[in-house]
This record gives sequence, structure tokens and C-alpha cells, in this order.
Amino acid sequence: MRPVDPRLLRYAASARAFFAAGGVLALGQTATIIAFSWLVTQVIVGAIGGSPLSALLPSLGALAGVVAVRFALGWLSEYNAARGAAVVKSELRRRVLDAVTRLGPGWLGGRSSTAVGVTAGPGLDALDTYFSKYLPQLILTAIAMPLVVLTIWSQDWVSGLTVTLTLPLIPVFMILIGWATQTVQQRQFERLTRLSTAFLDVVGGLSTLTVYGRQHRQAARIREVTEEYRTQTMKVLRVSFLSGFALELAASLSVALVAVSIGVRLIDGSLGLGVGLFVLLLAPEAFLPLRNVGAQFHAAADGVAASTSVFEILDEAGATGAVSTWGAVPTEGAAGAEAVDAGLEVRGLGVRYGEAVAFAGLRASIRRGAVTAVTGPSGSGKTSFVHALLGFVPVEGRMLVGGRDVTDDPAPRPWLAWAGQRAALVEGSVLENVALGDDEPDAARARAALDLVGGAGIRLAERIDPRGGGLSGGQAQRVSSARAVYRARALDCPVVVFDEPTSALDGGTEAEFSRSLRALADEGRAVIVVSHRPAVTASADDRLVFALPEAAHPLAVAAGLPAGPLAGSPAHAAAHSPGGGVA
Amino acid sequence: MNRRDVLRLAQPRLVRFAPGVVLGLLGALCAVGLLGVSAWLITRAAEQPPILFLSAAMVGVRAFALGRATFRYLERLVSHDAAFATMPELRVGVYERLVPVAPDGLGSARSGDLLSRLVSDVDEQQNLPLRVVQPLVVSGLTALAAVVVVWLLLLTAGIVLALSLLAALLVGTVLNAALSARAERTLAGLRGTHRAALADYLTNLDVLVAYGADGAALSALSHADAALTAASRRRAVGAGATAAAVTFFAGLATVLTLVVGVPALGAGAGALGGSGGFDGPALAVVALVPLAAFEVFAMIPLAAGAWRQVRASADRIASVVPSTVPAGIPVDGPESVRPAPAVFTGLSLRDVTARWPGASAAALAPVSLDLAPGDRVLLRGPSGAGKTTLAHVLVRFLDHEGGYRLNGHDVREYPADAVRRVVGLCEQRPHLFDDDIRQNLLFARDTASDDELLAVLDRVGLASWVQARGGLTARVGERGALVSGGQAQRLALARALLADFPVLVLDEPTANVDPEQADALITDLLAAAASASRAVLLISHTPVPPALVTRTLSLSSVEPSQNAL
Repeated sequence: MRPVDPRLLRYAASARAFFAAGGVLALGQTATIIAFSWLVTQVIVGAIGGSPLSALLPSLGALAGVVAVRFALGWLSEYNAARGAAVVKSELRRRVLDAVTRLGPGWLGGRSSTAVGVTAGPGLDALDTYFSKYLPQLILTAIAMPLVVLTIWSQDWVSGLTVTLTLPLIPVFMILIGWATQTVQQRQFERLTRLSTAFLDVVGGLSTLTVYGRQHRQAARIREVTEEYRTQTMKVLRVSFLSGFALELAASLSVALVAVSIGVRLIDGSLGLGVGLFVLLLAPEAFLPLRNVGAQFHAAADGVAASTSVFEILDEAGATGAVSTWGAVPTEGAAGAEAVDAGLEVRGLGVRYGEAVAFAGLRASIRRGAVTAVTGPSGSGKTSFVHALLGFVPVEGRMLVGGRDVTDDPAPRPWLAWAGQRAALVEGSVLENVALGDDEPDAARARAALDLVGGAGIRLAERIDPRGGGLSGGQAQRVSSARAVYRARALDCPVVVFDEPTSALDGGTEAEFSRSLRALADEGRAVIVVSHRPAVTASADDRLVFALPEAAHPLAVAAGLPAGPLAGSPAHAAAHSPGGGVA
Repeated sequence: MNRRDVLRLAQPRLVRFAPGVVLGLLGALCAVGLLGVSAWLITRAAEQPPILFLSAAMVGVRAFALGRATFRYLERLVSHDAAFATMPELRVGVYERLVPVAPDGLGSARSGDLLSRLVSDVDEQQNLPLRVVQPLVVSGLTALAAVVVVWLLLLTAGIVLALSLLAALLVGTVLNAALSARAERTLAGLRGTHRAALADYLTNLDVLVAYGADGAALSALSHADAALTAASRRRAVGAGATAAAVTFFAGLATVLTLVVGVPALGAGAGALGGSGGFDGPALAVVALVPLAAFEVFAMIPLAAGAWRQVRASADRIASVVPSTVPAGIPVDGPESVRPAPAVFTGLSLRDVTARWPGASAAALAPVSLDLAPGDRVLLRGPSGAGKTTLAHVLVRFLDHEGGYRLNGHDVREYPADAVRRVVGLCEQRPHLFDDDIRQNLLFARDTASDDELLAVLDRVGLASWVQARGGLTARVGERGALVSGGQAQRLALARALLADFPVLVLDEPTANVDPEQADALITDLLAAAASASRAVLLISHTPVPPALVTRTLSLSSVEPSQNAL
């Protein structure tokens, strides 16, 4: 493990300020340590030499000054560390969010948004101890250790040699013991993880255990597993505590050697008391920062791990380059102004995730003024098709709206209104949710949109808490659908997409929802509804059927099938409408 | 369970705890001794006595050096072992208090996140002996020993050292605690706001981007971030001052002992001052021992910080784990003596309502319902109508008002466990244990053979899935992480079929399943569960083919007449 990831300096400019200030402070702290030892020695030697207190007062005054300066430097150092942690965390959070936004929802959909949230949120708190406990000691090791050792050399080369020879032993021992620990840990890593989560597993499954009447038997199992965990952990600790032992032993034996050697040379008069005492006070200080670094090994490992998961996201975003600028909203209603009947046309559209083909070679023309049902089994690429329309994923082929090529339009696309499978409500009122993205929400339009999708009973002023609470699943889904209706009317979007809009609705109300789709189509829009519910798809004018790739392995495509498994095959796209509809 | 109960379970018994403390104390005394004896050795050597006079000190220095490292290593081993040794009792103690109230008496802790919080809070308690009690005892006694030695050498120096330690204790611990507590209150709110906004942004990124609302959300988020960062920086000022105070008082103690020590030189001031009274070597010891004493003493502020965390965890455990079973949770009474019936003949509810513990209003309008063997009833109703509440009443997780009879007897005449041998439940989020498929099925009927397990997996439509994953030994991952929502429901049903409950309640099996797979799942589950001797109650909002159910019950307009369609 590297103690500091160079990417920390690259990605968090504020970390550079922390290191610079930390370096200056460490230099000052080292100076006060040396001055303190020297002044204490001067006073003791002076007193033993017969100087009265009055003669020593200047030295004692200076000593008090050094103590005050050391306090101030310690304070600043603590502040610098805490401030550094707070500022760097904030900077990394901002960068992660920028990166995630740049990588886009398509990228985020491929992993758990909770995991990314932990990485950018509580996960980064590991940097607190990393910055406050570990890094200052690391800086101090780099600065204080050589300066103190040099000072010892300048005073008494024998002691200097003793310390210099002992110091390198510490890292060597620690690396050797670290390896041994790792081997022990790896040997039983899986066992240890399982044992450590076993209690959580039982507590988490308590209601399931109760259903099966097994709850009473588990106490004995918990006891047994916890005992075994103790035995196994102690095996690891016996080895891993050795590194602390080696550190302590090297440090204290070195001080003892220095003390005894000085003592012997004082007796034969080859060394003065002043030098001897000074060196004795300095010797432990040469080891102290290194000991602290060793003691904070876990803080370091946690901090590096936390920042590494952040850097991985940033690296990925960096590698992708500037995909698009989400913030740049093209002129509102521009696309809608083009009066073309053609609606949405896709030519050879496809989406691939690496080697895997979601769908490929799709040709279809989706009419305005009609409802088109998109159907097909799970995994046939329906959701990828919607993501392609939204601009969340890189696509092959072209998309045209009203005759204009929109393939490379950045999201958000002003010609498109969309309601996803998940209601995705944000904190705020129902009105704010329905009019999302509109800086001046129009209550009348929002009311009409809600009424259209069967949400007449939902008040616009109703508050929605962060987890979408306050509304039932069905109501939340209606708010989400109303959002698409609102946007479609506000921006006059020619294309409106609903992805499984009735999954949380009762069967009886599906027919009602189909009438809402019809009303939107009658406004001259191309309405696309992805659904597997017969009640919804049956009333559609056109139908776009997705099929699973015939060859289950994407390799078949890689091997060079001319246009992908879906291309132009009538099996997957069938037209029902006289107007041409789907090719 | 109150805080004291938790802490008592976490603190090892004296017999186990004492060895670690003794070793820790020896290690700390060696550290102080190393510096003290070295200082004495050097100043005495400067007087050039015969080397023989110093050989004891030279041996002592080396012994203290060895002792410091060795005792410290042994202390860590012994004290960790003692701390781990309390964990079985603590975990079992908490678990056994959870059992009678679980799941519905746990209040908000029922959800997965809070339960894992509870578990990590329990584990946090090992820090009570390790990072709180032991450092406090060891550093307190070491500081006391240092004061006594200095006191014996020079009375005034002892007083100076004692006062400095006391001042450091006050500033480093009491003041620090007060400052951190105040700052933490501000920070906790800001942190909560920021995390909620962050989670909101990430989970809704698709919608925010598609609607061009990401910029506004991001700037709201950066406001929350800025407030949090500014508060953290403000806190650093006070926290840094109190943290640096310990080194300040350490330095001050040395300055002051020198101020009182230098004039005393030559006077026979102390009990330990050799032949010449308070001499040069004694002055060196008096001036330098405080440095080592303070180094040991620095553990105290750390222990105070650890105590705050341990205490907060203990309080959270205490608040989650009730001392008494809350009202509304069934408790077996003296009348609950009837054995579980061998044959199920019928279940009836008459005007049953229920409320959750602590809730003022009933979560369920009066329900009447009859279930006989062979019935397959679909229970519908909007969210909030109490569908899950009814399921929990049926398996006696929740107590009820009104008439609930099983085989013609009041259900309270049976122990709750006996009722659950008849009435089974497939939960909305079935828990899969971090083990293989076999173990996840076997605990429903531990006598089942592999053939029986495979047969039941085939019935719930998982035969090929299990085969593709390598058979019954395939693991399901932590909390079923390797299993999709639909497969988890199928496994849960397989488990329920193995247990062969005469009455089976399926609570929203499609709640965590992709919409397009929901319909197939419902059909498969109902087909697998159907049996002439079993009554099935399906709670669902997904449409169900009418042929698969014998009746439909709507919970929004619950009236006795409507139930028997």
C-alpha cells in the first residue's frame, strides 16, 4: 500500500495546500523539539554547575516561550489537518458528482447508486482520521526524523551511529511482519468475513426465523460463531501485533543503548553532561513520528481505500472525456416548432455494452398522433432503446425527429418527455415534482397533467419526503407520468415515452390510463409506451416488438453478422398500421 | 434494556480484565522508568563515580527498554482476548431480548439498514474495555505513580506535576468533550441534510438529467456541502486547541518543576534524595519524568473520545432493544396452552383490527375473512390499507382486536409459535441467509433429502436456475445479493412449501420484481402453492388470472358481506 496516492494531489488541489502548510508546521515543530531539549539541558547542567535560579531565568524564560510556540504550532497543525480533511472531502465530493453527471445516468445504471452514494458520502469520512492522525505524522517523519538524527550526529557521532543503524530496522521488520500478517489473513479471509457477518445475518433474518419457529435455536449458534471468531481473530492478531512490538523494541532499545553508552563515556570523562543529556532527550524524538505512523496504519489503509474508490470514478470520467454538457439546454420548443409529421425515425439504431449487444440494427418510424406499444421479453433491449432516446448511452445508427438528425443531441433533449419505470420523486411538493426542470412551475398545467393520468385526488401542495414517502406506490407513479405530460405540453415535445407506466396501478385502472395516452397522441405527439400489460398494449395503434437475440451469445454478432440479430427481421418488428408505422 | 445493562455485558469480568491492566501498567511504568532511570544514569555518571555504582542503573535501563515493548505486546493480546470474550454474552443477550418482540416490536429498527446499525453498535462495545476502561486505568495509575516518585524526590515538584496533569485532564477531556458535543450537534444536522440531498441526486440522476433539472439539484447540493465544510472548519479551531493543550501542559510541567527544582538543589528536600539530599541526578529525574508521564497520559483524551462513541452506541442499542414487550406485540399468556393442531380445518377473522406498537390509530379497518383448506384468496387494496398489517396479524407478529379463530378456537389459546406452525408467511423481502441454497431451504425442514429439495425447487420454477448455478451448494450471497428479487421470492416459496404450512400468506411477492416478470411470477407462485389441503392468501396489486384464485377480497372497502363472493 502506498501511504499517499499521487492522484490525491492531482484531483484535490486543496490537498497540496495541506501538505505545504503541514511541511512548514512540521519544520517549526522539529525546531521547537530541538530547542526544548537543548534549553532543558542547559538549565539542568547550569543548575548542577552551581548557577542560581536568577542566572538561569533567561533560559527558563526562553523555555517557556518554546513551550508556548510548540502549543501554537500543535494547534495550527491540528487545525490544518481538520481543515484539510474537510476541504479535500468537499472537493472530492464535488468532483465525483461532476464525474457521475458527466458519465451520465447510463453509467450509473450499471452499478448501485447506493454504493456511489457511500463512496461520495460517508465513505469519504475515512479521510478524517487519515488527515488528522496519519498524514501529519508521515510529514513529521519525513522532516523531523532526519533533522533530529543530524542534530544527534553533530553532538555525538557514536549516538548518531546507534540511532542511524537502528532506524532502518523498523521498516524492514514491519514489512516482514506485514507480509506474514497478510498471509495469515488471506489464508482465512473468507472464513473471517463469514464469521464476522454471521451475527448480522441472524439478526437480519430474525422475522424469517420466527416464521419458521427457528428463532430460539439461534442463541447457541451465535455464541458458537462468536467464540470461533475470537479464536480465529486472535490467531491473526498474534502475528499482526508483532509489528508494533518490533517498533517499540527498536525504539526503546536504541534509547537504552544510547543512554548506557553515554553513561560509560561520561564516567571516563570523554563526553560532557550537556551533550549527553541533550542527546538522550533527542533520541526518542527521532523514533516518535515513525512509531505514530505505524500505530495509525489502519487509519492510513482506510483513508487510501476510501480515496481510491473516488479516484476510480474520476479516472473513468477522465478517460471518457467530455461526453456532453448536460447543463446546456437548447432553446426551448425549438424542435417542436418544426412542423413535420414524421415523428421519430430510427435507422440502424443499436446499443452495445462492451461486447454485449442490447439491440442492434433497429429500423422503425414512429408516427405522431399515434400510440406505439413497445413489447418484448425481459433482456430484449427495450430499456436500452429508451436510454438511447434519452441520450444516456452511446449509440450506433441514427435517430431523426421531424426529419432532423438528433442522434448526437446532448441530454436533456427538448423534443422528448419521458416517465421511467421508477417514479423517482425528489424532495419537494407534488407541484415541484410534476413541473421538474421548469423554473416557473405552472400550477394549472400541472393540475391538468395530473388529472389526465388519473391523479385527480393528489393535491399539488402535498409534500414528498426524500424517499418518495407520503404517496402510495400507485400515486407516485401517477405523479411521474404527469411529469412527462407536463413537459410534453410545456415544451411541446413531439415524442413522449412511458416506461411501464401501470406497473404499480391496479388492473382496473389500466384502461383508463390507455385513454390518457390516446389524448396525448391526439395532441399530435408520437406516444411510445413500453409495457407488457395486454390492457395497455392492446389499445395501441402500432406495435414495436423486441425479440431476444437468436444466438444467446453476443459472440455471434462479433463474428460478423451483417446487421445484428434484430436487423430488419420481421420477426422482431411488425407493423399494424396502414400509415407505414414500423418498418 | 438500558445503557447500564449494555455496558455491563460489554465489560469483561475482573478476572479476565485484570491481567491486561496489569500488563498495560507494567508497560507504561517501563516507559516512564526508561526515561527517568536514563536521566538519572547520565547525570550521575557525569559525577564520575566508580562504574560499579551505575551498573544497576545500566541493567535497569536495558530491562525497562525490553519490558516496555514486551509488556505492551502481551497487554494487547490479553486485553483483546478479554474484550472478544465478552462478545458472545453481549450478542446473545441482545439477541434474546430481540426474539420476543421481533419483528414488529422493534419500531423503526425493523428495516435492514437500522438492523445492521444495531449489529455494528453491538460490536462497537468491545471498545469499552479496550479503548476506554483500560487506558483510563493504566494512564491514571501511571500518572499517579509518576506524581508519587516526583513527590518523594521533591514535594513542590510533585505538586506542580499533579496540578499540570489535572489541568491537562480538564482542558483535554472535559472542555474538549463540551466543545465536540456542541459542534457535533450542529454537524449532525448538516451532515444529514447533505447525505439526503446526495442520495436524492444520485438515485434520481436519470430523471434530473432528462428534465434538465440536474444543474439546480447540483447547486442545492453544493450549498449543503459548503455549509457542512464551513461547520467542520469552525469546529477544527476549538478541537485543535484542546488537543494541543496536552503537549502545552507537558512542557509547562517541565518548566515549573525546573523553577521549583533548581533552588531546592543541595537541600535535603526529598525522602529519596540520596546522601546529598536533592542532588543533580534527582533534578534531572524530576524535570524529565513529567515528559514520559504526559506521553502515557495522552491516552486519556483518546479514551474520552472512544467513550463518547461507545456511550452513543450503547444508547442506540438501549433504545432499539426494549426492556419490556411493547403493547400490541403478542405475548403467550397462561391460556396459551393448546398444542399446534395436526389438521387444519379453518381460520376465521371477525372484525379484526390492529395497530402498530406506539401508533395511535389502527392500521387496519375491521376485516372479516374465512379461510378453509383449498381456498386461494386474493387480497387487494391500496397502499396504506393495512395489507401487510393483516399478514402480520395472521402469523401473530402483531396482536389484534376482534375475533381471530383457528380451527374454531380463539387463536390466543395457542402459543404464537404453534400458530406459526399452521400459518406461514412469505415476506415482501424474504431474508436469504449468507449460505448455500441447501441451507436456505433446510432450515424449513431439516429432514428433507436432496431429492425433495430439488423437487420443491422444480415446483417453484427454479430447477434450471439452480442447475445452471452448480446445484444446491451454490451460495446466495450476503442478504441474497447474488439472487434477483423474483428468484428470492421463489426460494422463499420453496422454503414455505417444505415447511408445508396449511395456511400460507404471500405478502406482495412482486414488490421487488421487474414489472415485466411480475405477472409470470404471480402465476407460477400461485400454481405451485395450490393444494386441496392448503389455504393461500395472496396479497398483491398485480392482476391475477381469475382462474387461479377462488375469491377476491378488497381491503379498501372491507365489509363482511363483500368477503364471501
